[in-house]
Amino acid sequence: MWVYEKKLQYPAKVCKPDVKMAKYLIAQYGGPDGELAAALRYQTQRFVMPTGKAKAVLTDIATEELAHLEIIATLVFKLLKGVPVEILKREGLGEYYTEHDRGLFYADTTGMLWTAAYIQAKGDAIADLHEDMAAEEKARATYEHLINLTDDPCVKDTLRFLREREIVHFQRFGETLVQVREYMESKKFF
Amino acid sequence: MDGNQISMLKKIMEIEFTCIDLNLYLDTHPEDQKALQDYNYYSNQLSMLKQQYEQFYGPLMVFGHSQSQYPWKWVDDPWPWEIEY
Amino acid sequence: MYDYNPYVQDYAFPSLKLAQAYVPLQKYVSLYPPEEAIKKGTVFPELDMPYVGEKMR
Repeated sequence: MWVYEKKLQYPAKVCKPDVKMAKYLIAQYGGPDGELAAALRYQTQRFVMPTGKAKAVLTDIATEELAHLEIIATLVFKLLKGVPVEILKREGLGEYYTEHDRGLFYADTTGMLWTAAYIQAKGDAIADLHEDMAAEEKARATYEHLINLTDDPCVKDTLRFLREREIVHFQRFGETLVQVREYMESKKFF
Repeated sequence: MDGNQISMLKKIMEIEFTCIDLNLYLDTHPEDQKALQDYNYYSNQLSMLKQQYEQFYGPLMVFGHSQSQYPWKWVDDPWPWEIEY
Repeated sequence: MYDYNPYVQDYAFPSLKLAQAYVPLQKYVSLYPPEEAIKKGTVFPELDMPYVGEKMR
Protein backbone atom coordinates (compact mmCIF):
# COMPACT_ATOMS: atom_id res chain seq x y z
CA MET A 1 0.00 0.00 0.00
CA TRP A 2 0.97 3.64 -0.09
CA VAL A 3 0.86 6.32 2.59
CA TYR A 4 0.78 10.04 1.80
CA GLU A 5 3.12 12.50 3.46
CA LYS A 6 1.74 16.03 3.83
CA LYS A 7 4.85 17.70 2.42
CA LEU A 8 6.64 18.15 -0.90
CA GLN A 9 9.89 16.33 -1.63
CA TYR A 10 11.42 19.69 -2.62
CA PRO A 11 10.34 23.25 -1.68
CA ALA A 12 9.00 24.17 -5.12
CA LYS A 13 8.37 27.84 -5.67
CA VAL A 14 7.78 30.29 -8.50
CA CYS A 15 8.94 33.91 -8.52
CA LYS A 16 5.91 35.18 -10.47
CA PRO A 17 2.86 33.82 -12.32
CA ASP A 18 3.63 32.77 -15.90
CA VAL A 19 0.87 31.24 -18.02
CA LYS A 20 3.11 30.20 -20.93
CA MET A 21 5.47 28.32 -18.62
CA ALA A 22 2.53 26.57 -16.94
CA LYS A 23 1.41 25.42 -20.37
CA TYR A 24 4.89 24.02 -21.15
CA LEU A 25 5.35 22.43 -17.72
CA ILE A 26 2.15 20.42 -18.09
CA ALA A 27 4.27 18.22 -20.38
CA GLN A 28 5.89 16.71 -17.29
CA TYR A 29 2.49 16.18 -15.66
CA GLY A 30 0.52 14.33 -18.32
CA GLY A 31 2.90 14.09 -21.27
CA PRO A 32 4.52 10.96 -22.77
CA ASP A 33 7.77 11.33 -20.80
CA GLY A 34 6.23 12.97 -17.76
CA GLU A 35 6.10 11.99 -14.13
CA LEU A 36 2.71 10.24 -14.27
CA ALA A 37 3.93 8.00 -17.08
CA ALA A 38 7.12 7.28 -15.13
CA ALA A 39 5.37 6.43 -11.86
CA LEU A 40 2.77 4.18 -13.48
CA ARG A 41 5.30 2.49 -15.77
CA TYR A 42 7.63 1.40 -12.95
CA GLN A 43 4.78 0.58 -10.62
CA THR A 44 3.25 -1.91 -13.02
CA GLN A 45 6.51 -3.37 -14.36
CA ARG A 46 7.76 -4.40 -10.93
CA PHE A 47 5.46 -7.42 -10.47
CA VAL A 48 7.46 -9.75 -12.69
CA MET A 49 10.97 -8.54 -11.85
CA PRO A 50 13.08 -11.61 -11.02
CA THR A 51 15.05 -10.30 -8.00
CA GLY A 52 14.23 -8.57 -4.74
CA LYS A 53 16.67 -5.80 -5.59
CA ALA A 54 14.93 -5.07 -8.90
CA LYS A 55 11.50 -5.09 -7.24
CA ALA A 56 12.81 -2.62 -4.65
CA VAL A 57 14.30 -0.27 -7.26
CA LEU A 58 11.08 -0.14 -9.31
CA THR A 59 8.86 0.27 -6.25
CA ASP A 60 10.95 3.06 -4.75
CA ILE A 61 11.57 5.00 -7.95
CA ALA A 62 7.84 4.74 -8.84
CA THR A 63 7.09 6.21 -5.42
CA GLU A 64 9.58 9.03 -5.86
CA GLU A 65 8.05 9.83 -9.27
CA LEU A 66 4.69 10.39 -7.56
CA ALA A 67 6.43 12.97 -5.38
CA HIS A 68 7.76 14.59 -8.57
CA LEU A 69 4.26 14.59 -10.04
CA GLU A 70 3.16 16.59 -7.02
CA ILE A 71 6.05 19.05 -7.48
CA ILE A 72 5.11 19.65 -11.14
CA ALA A 73 1.47 20.13 -10.13
CA THR A 74 2.57 22.62 -7.48
CA LEU A 75 4.59 24.64 -10.00
CA VAL A 76 1.67 24.74 -12.47
CA PHE A 77 -0.77 25.63 -9.69
CA LYS A 78 1.43 28.49 -8.50
CA LEU A 79 2.17 29.75 -12.01
CA LEU A 80 -1.57 30.10 -12.71
CA LYS A 81 -2.61 31.42 -9.34
CA GLY A 82 -4.64 34.64 -9.57
CA VAL A 83 -4.13 35.04 -13.33
CA PRO A 84 -7.22 36.67 -14.93
CA VAL A 85 -9.08 34.79 -17.68
CA GLU A 86 -8.16 37.38 -20.34
CA ILE A 87 -4.48 36.67 -19.78
CA LEU A 88 -4.98 32.89 -19.76
CA LYS A 89 -6.72 33.30 -23.11
CA ARG A 90 -4.10 35.64 -24.56
CA GLU A 91 -1.21 33.37 -23.48
CA GLY A 92 -2.63 30.21 -25.05
CA LEU A 93 -4.53 28.53 -22.21
CA GLY A 94 -8.04 29.37 -23.44
CA GLU A 95 -8.70 25.79 -24.49
CA TYR A 96 -7.33 24.43 -21.22
CA TYR A 97 -9.41 26.91 -19.22
CA THR A 98 -12.56 25.80 -21.04
CA GLU A 99 -12.22 22.26 -19.72
CA HIS A 100 -10.27 22.63 -16.49
CA ASP A 101 -10.21 26.27 -15.36
CA ARG A 102 -6.97 26.50 -13.32
CA GLY A 103 -7.27 22.88 -12.19
CA LEU A 104 -4.68 20.22 -12.87
CA PHE A 105 -5.33 17.63 -15.54
CA TYR A 106 -3.31 14.88 -17.22
CA ALA A 107 -2.56 16.31 -20.64
CA ASP A 108 0.58 17.39 -22.46
CA THR A 109 1.50 20.89 -23.58
CA THR A 110 -0.60 20.60 -26.77
CA GLY A 111 -3.66 19.36 -24.86
CA MET A 112 -3.23 15.71 -25.82
CA LEU A 113 -4.63 13.56 -23.01
CA TRP A 114 -2.48 11.10 -21.10
CA THR A 115 -2.77 7.53 -22.32
CA ALA A 116 -1.42 4.17 -21.17
CA ALA A 117 -0.15 3.80 -24.73
CA TYR A 118 2.79 5.99 -23.61
CA ILE A 119 4.15 3.15 -21.50
CA GLN A 120 4.75 -0.57 -21.71
CA ALA A 121 5.11 -3.58 -19.43
CA LYS A 122 6.62 -6.31 -21.54
CA GLY A 123 6.82 -8.98 -18.85
CA ASP A 124 10.53 -9.19 -19.74
CA ALA A 125 12.81 -7.58 -17.17
CA ILE A 126 15.63 -6.82 -19.62
CA ALA A 127 13.31 -5.16 -22.13
CA ASP A 128 11.48 -3.22 -19.42
CA LEU A 129 14.69 -1.95 -17.80
CA HIS A 130 15.91 -0.64 -21.15
CA GLU A 131 12.62 1.22 -21.50
CA ASP A 132 13.10 2.64 -18.01
CA MET A 133 16.61 3.88 -18.77
CA ALA A 134 15.32 5.49 -21.99
CA ALA A 135 12.43 7.05 -20.06
CA GLU A 136 14.87 8.68 -17.62
CA GLU A 137 16.91 10.12 -20.51
CA LYS A 138 13.79 11.45 -22.24
CA ALA A 139 12.63 13.08 -19.03
CA ARG A 140 16.11 14.58 -18.55
CA ALA A 141 16.00 16.03 -22.06
CA THR A 142 12.50 17.43 -21.43
CA TYR A 143 13.69 19.11 -18.23
CA GLU A 144 16.58 20.69 -20.13
CA HIS A 145 14.15 22.05 -22.72
CA LEU A 146 11.97 23.42 -19.94
CA ILE A 147 14.97 25.06 -18.23
CA ASN A 148 15.76 26.78 -21.54
CA LEU A 149 12.16 28.00 -21.83
CA THR A 150 12.03 29.99 -18.58
CA ASP A 151 13.81 33.00 -17.08
CA ASP A 152 12.25 32.44 -13.66
CA PRO A 153 15.13 31.50 -11.29
CA CYS A 154 12.70 29.82 -8.84
CA VAL A 155 11.26 27.55 -11.51
CA LYS A 156 14.72 26.80 -12.92
CA ASP A 157 15.91 25.81 -9.45
CA THR A 158 13.19 23.17 -9.04
CA LEU A 159 13.62 21.91 -12.62
CA ARG A 160 17.37 21.43 -12.02
CA PHE A 161 16.56 19.31 -8.98
CA LEU A 162 14.13 17.15 -10.97
CA ARG A 163 16.58 16.80 -13.87
CA GLU A 164 19.33 15.56 -11.53
CA ARG A 165 16.97 12.91 -10.14
CA GLU A 166 16.62 11.47 -13.65
CA ILE A 167 20.39 10.94 -13.73
CA VAL A 168 20.39 9.15 -10.38
CA HIS A 169 17.45 6.97 -11.47
CA PHE A 170 19.26 6.10 -14.71
CA GLN A 171 22.22 4.88 -12.65
CA ARG A 172 19.99 2.67 -10.48
CA PHE A 173 18.16 1.18 -13.47
CA GLY A 174 21.50 0.58 -15.18
CA GLU A 175 22.87 -1.22 -12.13
CA THR A 176 19.64 -3.21 -11.96
CA LEU A 177 19.97 -4.20 -15.61
CA VAL A 178 23.46 -5.60 -15.03
CA GLN A 179 22.39 -7.37 -11.82
CA VAL A 180 19.26 -8.90 -13.38
CA ARG A 181 21.24 -10.14 -16.36
CA GLU A 182 23.83 -11.72 -14.01
CA TYR A 183 21.04 -13.35 -12.04
CA MET A 184 19.42 -14.79 -15.16
CA GLU A 185 22.73 -16.10 -16.44
CA SER A 186 23.46 -17.79 -13.10
CA LYS A 187 20.09 -19.54 -13.28
CA LYS A 188 20.91 -20.88 -16.75
CA PHE A 189 23.97 -22.81 -15.59
CA PHE A 190 22.93 -24.18 -12.20
CA MET B 1 2.36 29.69 7.97
CA ASP B 2 5.04 30.92 10.37
CA GLY B 3 8.73 31.02 9.65
CA ASN B 4 9.54 28.35 12.19
CA GLN B 5 7.18 25.89 10.52
CA ILE B 6 8.77 26.56 7.11
CA SER B 7 12.29 26.09 8.43
CA MET B 8 11.39 22.86 10.26
CA LEU B 9 9.71 21.57 7.11
CA LYS B 10 12.77 22.42 5.02
CA LYS B 11 15.04 20.64 7.48
CA ILE B 12 12.82 17.54 7.25
CA MET B 13 12.98 17.74 3.43
CA GLU B 14 16.78 17.88 3.57
CA ILE B 15 17.21 14.87 5.82
CA GLU B 16 14.49 12.88 4.08
CA PHE B 17 16.11 13.61 0.73
CA THR B 18 19.41 12.16 1.94
CA CYS B 19 17.48 9.08 3.14
CA ILE B 20 15.77 8.70 -0.26
CA ASP B 21 19.02 8.84 -2.20
CA LEU B 22 20.73 6.40 0.20
CA ASN B 23 17.64 4.15 0.01
CA LEU B 24 17.93 3.88 -3.78
CA TYR B 25 21.67 3.18 -3.48
CA LEU B 26 21.00 0.42 -0.94
CA ASP B 27 18.42 -1.16 -3.26
CA THR B 28 21.26 -2.07 -5.63
CA HIS B 29 23.93 -2.40 -2.87
CA PRO B 30 22.14 -4.16 0.02
CA GLU B 31 25.42 -5.42 1.48
CA ASP B 32 27.14 -2.04 1.72
CA GLN B 33 27.60 -1.69 5.47
CA LYS B 34 28.85 1.89 5.43
CA ALA B 35 25.88 3.07 3.37
CA LEU B 36 23.46 1.20 5.61
CA GLN B 37 25.04 2.75 8.69
CA ASP B 38 24.64 6.22 7.17
CA TYR B 39 21.05 5.44 6.15
CA ASN B 40 20.15 4.35 9.68
CA TYR B 41 21.82 7.42 11.13
CA TYR B 42 19.81 9.84 8.97
CA SER B 43 16.63 7.79 9.34
CA ASN B 44 16.87 8.16 13.10
CA GLN B 45 17.45 11.91 12.76
CA LEU B 46 14.43 12.11 10.44
CA SER B 47 12.05 10.44 12.90
CA MET B 48 13.09 12.84 15.64
CA LEU B 49 12.58 15.88 13.42
CA LYS B 50 9.18 14.64 12.24
CA GLN B 51 8.04 13.96 15.77
CA GLN B 52 8.97 17.49 16.81
CA TYR B 53 7.23 19.01 13.81
CA GLU B 54 4.04 17.02 14.34
CA GLN B 55 3.73 18.13 17.96
CA PHE B 56 3.40 21.73 16.81
CA TYR B 57 1.90 21.55 13.36
CA GLY B 58 -0.15 18.36 13.11
CA PRO B 59 0.44 15.00 11.43
CA LEU B 60 2.66 14.60 8.37
CA MET B 61 1.21 11.14 7.82
CA VAL B 62 -2.09 9.42 8.55
CA PHE B 63 -3.45 5.86 8.39
CA GLY B 64 -2.17 5.35 11.90
CA HIS B 65 1.43 6.40 11.31
CA SER B 66 1.07 9.59 13.38
CA GLN B 67 -1.29 10.65 16.11
CA SER B 68 -3.32 13.87 16.09
CA GLN B 69 -4.35 16.33 18.75
CA TYR B 70 -8.03 17.31 19.02
CA PRO B 71 -9.59 18.25 16.67
CA TRP B 72 -8.26 16.01 13.87
CA LYS B 73 -5.45 18.19 12.50
CA TRP B 74 -4.99 16.40 9.16
CA VAL B 75 -7.68 18.57 7.56
CA ASP B 76 -5.91 21.84 8.39
CA ASP B 77 -4.66 24.12 5.61
CA PRO B 78 -2.21 24.74 4.10
CA TRP B 79 -1.62 21.67 1.94
CA PRO B 80 1.84 21.16 0.42
CA TRP B 81 1.11 22.94 -2.89
CA GLU B 82 -0.25 26.00 -1.07
CA ILE B 83 2.86 26.74 0.97
CA GLU B 84 5.06 29.71 0.00
CA TYR B 85 8.68 28.85 0.72
CA MET C 1 32.98 18.64 -9.41
CA TYR C 2 34.62 15.22 -9.21
CA ASP C 3 38.08 14.05 -10.30
CA TYR C 4 38.84 10.67 -8.76
CA ASN C 5 37.54 7.86 -10.95
CA PRO C 6 37.41 4.50 -9.17
CA TYR C 7 35.85 2.77 -12.18
CA VAL C 8 38.66 2.79 -14.72
CA GLN C 9 39.84 -0.77 -14.17
CA ASP C 10 36.26 -2.11 -14.07
CA TYR C 11 36.04 -1.88 -17.83
CA ALA C 12 38.52 -4.57 -18.73
CA PHE C 13 37.29 -5.24 -22.23
CA PRO C 14 37.45 -9.06 -22.56
CA SER C 15 34.74 -9.53 -19.93
CA LEU C 16 32.17 -7.46 -21.81
CA LYS C 17 29.85 -9.22 -24.22
CA LEU C 18 28.56 -7.69 -27.40
CA ALA C 19 24.96 -6.51 -27.76
CA GLN C 20 24.55 -5.72 -24.06
CA ALA C 21 24.35 -2.36 -22.33
CA TYR C 22 26.44 -1.77 -19.20
CA VAL C 23 26.40 0.78 -16.43
CA PRO C 24 29.20 0.41 -13.85
CA LEU C 25 28.09 -0.37 -10.31
CA GLN C 26 28.54 2.70 -8.15
CA LYS C 27 31.07 2.53 -5.31
CA TYR C 28 30.50 4.17 -1.95
CA VAL C 29 32.96 7.04 -1.71
CA SER C 30 31.59 10.14 0.01
CA LEU C 31 28.38 12.09 0.61
CA TYR C 32 27.34 15.70 0.41
CA PRO C 33 25.92 16.95 3.73
CA PRO C 34 22.07 16.91 3.65
CA GLU C 35 21.62 20.68 3.17
CA GLU C 36 23.90 20.58 0.13
CA ALA C 37 22.57 17.26 -1.22
CA ILE C 38 19.02 18.53 -1.70
CA LYS C 39 20.32 21.59 -3.57
CA LYS C 40 22.35 19.39 -5.90
CA GLY C 41 19.57 16.81 -6.37
CA THR C 42 21.80 13.96 -5.18
CA VAL C 43 23.78 13.04 -2.08
CA PHE C 44 26.53 11.50 -4.25
CA PRO C 45 29.21 13.88 -5.62
CA GLU C 46 30.08 11.46 -8.43
CA LEU C 47 26.48 11.51 -9.71
CA ASP C 48 26.24 15.30 -9.55
CA MET C 49 26.14 16.21 -13.24
CA PRO C 50 24.56 19.65 -13.56
CA TYR C 51 23.09 20.98 -16.81
CA VAL C 52 25.43 23.50 -18.36
CA GLY C 53 22.81 25.23 -20.50
CA GLU C 54 21.79 25.27 -24.09
CA LYS C 55 24.56 24.80 -26.61
CA MET C 56 24.77 27.12 -29.58
CA ARG C 57 23.54 25.31 -32.65
